[in-house]
Amino acid sequence: MNQVLEHRSAGAAQQTLLEVKDLGISFGGLKAVQNFNLTLPSAGLYGLIGPNGAGKTTVFNLLTGIYQPQTGSLSLSGKNLLGCKPHEVTAAGIARTFQNIRLFPNLSILDNVRLAGQIRIRPKLLSTFLRTNGYREQEAALKAQAMDLLEIFDLQDRAEDLAQNLSYGHQRRLEIIRALATKPSVLLLDEPAAGLNPQEKLALAQSIRQIRDRFEVAILLIEHDMQLVMDICERIVVLDHGVTICEGTPQTVQNDEKVIAAYLGAIADDA
Amino acid sequence: MSASDVFIEPTSRGVNILKSATPILVGIALAVAIQFLLPSTVGPYYSRLVIDAGIAMILAVSLNIVNGMTGQFSIGHAGFMTIGAYTAGSITFYSSLLIWGTAAKHGSFLGSGEWMFVIACLCGGITASIAGFVVGLPSLRLRGDYLAIVTLGFGEILRVVLQQTGKVVDNAETIRNAPLTTFATVPVGGAIGFDGIPKYTTLFWVYAFLAITVIFAYRLKRSSFGRAMLSVREDEIAAQAMGINTSRQKLLAFITAAFFAGVGGGLLAHESGVIISPKDAGFQRSFDYVIMTVLGGRGSITGVMLAAILLSALPEVLRDFERYRIIIYAALLIFMMLSRPQGLFGIHEIWDFFPKSWKTLPWKKSPREEAQ
Amino acid sequence: MADFLQTLMTALAIGSLYALIALGYTMVYGVLKFINFAHSDIVVLGAWLSYSFAIRALPLVGLDAHNPTTPPPIWMTAGIFVAVLALCSLAGFLIERLAYRPLRRAPRLNVLITAIGVSLLLQNVGQLDFVFGASPQKMPALLPNWELLRIPFGQGESIRYVVLPLIDCIIFAVSGLLMLALELLIFRTKFGTALRAVSFNTDFAALMGIPVDRAISLTFMLGSALAGAAGFLYVLKFPSMNQPAHSVWVLLGLKAFVAAVVGGIGNVRGAVLGGFIIAFVEQFGAYYISSNYRDVYVFSLLILILLIKPTGLLGSPVREKV
Repeated sequence: MNQVLEHRSAGAAQQTLLEVKDLGISFGGLKAVQNFNLTLPSAGLYGLIGPNGAGKTTVFNLLTGIYQPQTGSLSLSGKNLLGCKPHEVTAAGIARTFQNIRLFPNLSILDNVRLAGQIRIRPKLLSTFLRTNGYREQEAALKAQAMDLLEIFDLQDRAEDLAQNLSYGHQRRLEIIRALATKPSVLLLDEPAAGLNPQEKLALAQSIRQIRDRFEVAILLIEHDMQLVMDICERIVVLDHGVTICEGTPQTVQNDEKVIAAYLGAIADDA
Repeated sequence: MSASDVFIEPTSRGVNILKSATPILVGIALAVAIQFLLPSTVGPYYSRLVIDAGIAMILAVSLNIVNGMTGQFSIGHAGFMTIGAYTAGSITFYSSLLIWGTAAKHGSFLGSGEWMFVIACLCGGITASIAGFVVGLPSLRLRGDYLAIVTLGFGEILRVVLQQTGKVVDNAETIRNAPLTTFATVPVGGAIGFDGIPKYTTLFWVYAFLAITVIFAYRLKRSSFGRAMLSVREDEIAAQAMGINTSRQKLLAFITAAFFAGVGGGLLAHESGVIISPKDAGFQRSFDYVIMTVLGGRGSITGVMLAAILLSALPEVLRDFERYRIIIYAALLIFMMLSRPQGLFGIHEIWDFFPKSWKTLPWKKSPREEAQ
Repeated sequence: MADFLQTLMTALAIGSLYALIALGYTMVYGVLKFINFAHSDIVVLGAWLSYSFAIRALPLVGLDAHNPTTPPPIWMTAGIFVAVLALCSLAGFLIERLAYRPLRRAPRLNVLITAIGVSLLLQNVGQLDFVFGASPQKMPALLPNWELLRIPFGQGESIRYVVLPLIDCIIFAVSGLLMLALELLIFRTKFGTALRAVSFNTDFAALMGIPVDRAISLTFMLGSALAGAAGFLYVLKFPSMNQPAHSVWVLLGLKAFVAAVVGGIGNVRGAVLGGFIIAFVEQFGAYYISSNYRDVYVFSLLILILLIKPTGLLGSPVREKV
């Protein structure tokens, strides 16, 4: 609990990085997400929770340009991101992981990371064919960056293995590494603890904080593990049926009646 | 050591240039060797087979960029080849007529005629890559089978349009006197094909172009471009999320693949004993190349080359069973798909199958060392 | 006016044939999600079986096998039709069982290549001397040469007749009945529900206790029976038959496939709609613009429609789950 307070006081001085106003989308008649608001400060660590089907992943898809929002606005450090394609959003500085792991299974671990790192380079076809010195330098730098990242996360020895041969926990880790390789300012983690055992979850909680500090990223986290969310997040947004029903510190959220009703259902109906 | 410290020492710059140039030089040297040694040892019949296999390899390796590496499904590759063939063929045929008064072969090995032919092949490649751009556009909207059908439709439309072209004009005077009216009918032979193209294609040119195609494809695959293409094949949405402009990669794959297909078409049009005709653009020929890429393995350059050699040789091996040839061919194809669905090499290259001891040569570094 | 009506009638008859063939493509795509390139060869099989049966059956009623003076009794024609349907659905069953079922979990590209292999195999086995042979044949007439309608247009020298031959009516009626039967089968029976469930999600359907393999087998048999019917009707209308591996057959199958895609592949009603659209574009384009480019109209329409609506006219858009 102390830690939470600490983070909050640190957060007060930070400036706004990601600003989301009234974001909304509907599929057919279904209003998947409505009036979603979020102000994420730099180096903030926020949580996004809600029952299954509440629209959490849809929010991620809206933020990353996979779905185009029908209402609202979206900006990163004051730069408008509305109407950007997914790769442009990533280039602007928002990286994400996926709930159902989406690595490139037949590429090596190194290539998975290198690929994400090449977002900032502009290779030329002719120099690629001729393998000019400039090309060799560019590729060597890419490789070194990727290996550095892998070393931080202790995967350097498996660099040449195919991603599909990693264990589930390592695959989740590689997804985070890959997202970090794009050098984001905002990192969106979609259920990073899903399928991990208690020890791995503890380690993950630790490393999420470390990632935030070391890579200076703001993190928005979707997670079902309440313990983990309450422990590490500074603020939490609760979604239900696409609507934000509560927003605040872990304490506020824990004691909010609407949140309890959304998770346990029946109480609200009886009341 | 961090990434920003990476630089290449000035002394190794020269070595690198040599390293980069060696494969290309070796490839061309091999082409020269084949040109001068092969015909005298195996005779004209087998030399022609080797030419056919070489052209098939150029087409299969280039199609592999789209189908194997980028994971798009094109069955219109023969269309690009035919565009290259007709473009290159008309350039050499009509330029020869205008310059030398006859469409016959002009000059000897590396003579002026051959250089005209090489430029014509490159022009064929450029025209084909423009078509590749146009055909690649639907790939931005369509997925999988739907894209396949559009590429198939492209080949079929091309076939019908080429059938409606005018007769070949083989009289230099007619062209000189009324160039506009002569060329307005697009005189490339109509349904019967474009006969009379000078026969410049030799073992040397086929294998020199093959060397360039293969080195290009290999270096592409191992570069940032190649990784981006492979990522589109593996998971398009994840690729976008990693900042890859998937539309750009798909178009690039179509354009480069079509370029080499066009060059291959130029070589085919100038091969002796071949008359390029509209039906070469049809889907049946495209199927042949698709089969080669699937049989070789998705994205495996060496696998696809081997498949191209095998499939070019197979009809000749089965020549004695003329009536049953295609039946055996089809049965082998089905058997192959049922027994080894990943193709000959899967996603691997041939050297992945060599014993480990071959790979850990003393001068090879581990990835970590290499990065430093 | 006369020309317009005549073209319209031809387009209706040919559209019915395209629709019949397109249904087979669309049904197989619906359940297995791959293009069954061997489907057009079932049409060829239907056509050549009709021919083989006809030349053997006609002498039994004392008619010349190749040039019957009168059509055979109606029961014989109907018998040939039923036999063709039965054998074609058997062929469809065997192809699925032997070539496609082992690849149920393989990448779709592999299944597609296998289908191309099966297609090549069928075409060239069909060309063998002891099967159908490699030379074109002429189908003997199995139906009377009646004209149901003969409407005059214009007067005197410029008089033109719009003719409605019996065969066109039969094609239209038989295809219509078969399509109606299929529609009822798919939307009104338990089997149809099972089929739609398999098409929607094979794994879930299996979990719900639907015998998926049997449903797929039946799909192939139904589709192949329709293809056989199309082959039979096709040679009655166009008696000059090309050899089994001739590209005319492949193009016929390809256009039917285009019809299925234009209508929205996987959608049964879309296949029928697509069949008629393709036939109309082809026939009217051929008559009013130039018959040289009839294939170009068809494929251009295909590309145009896919670019405007990537899943075809009646296809439902699919959104990939992220």
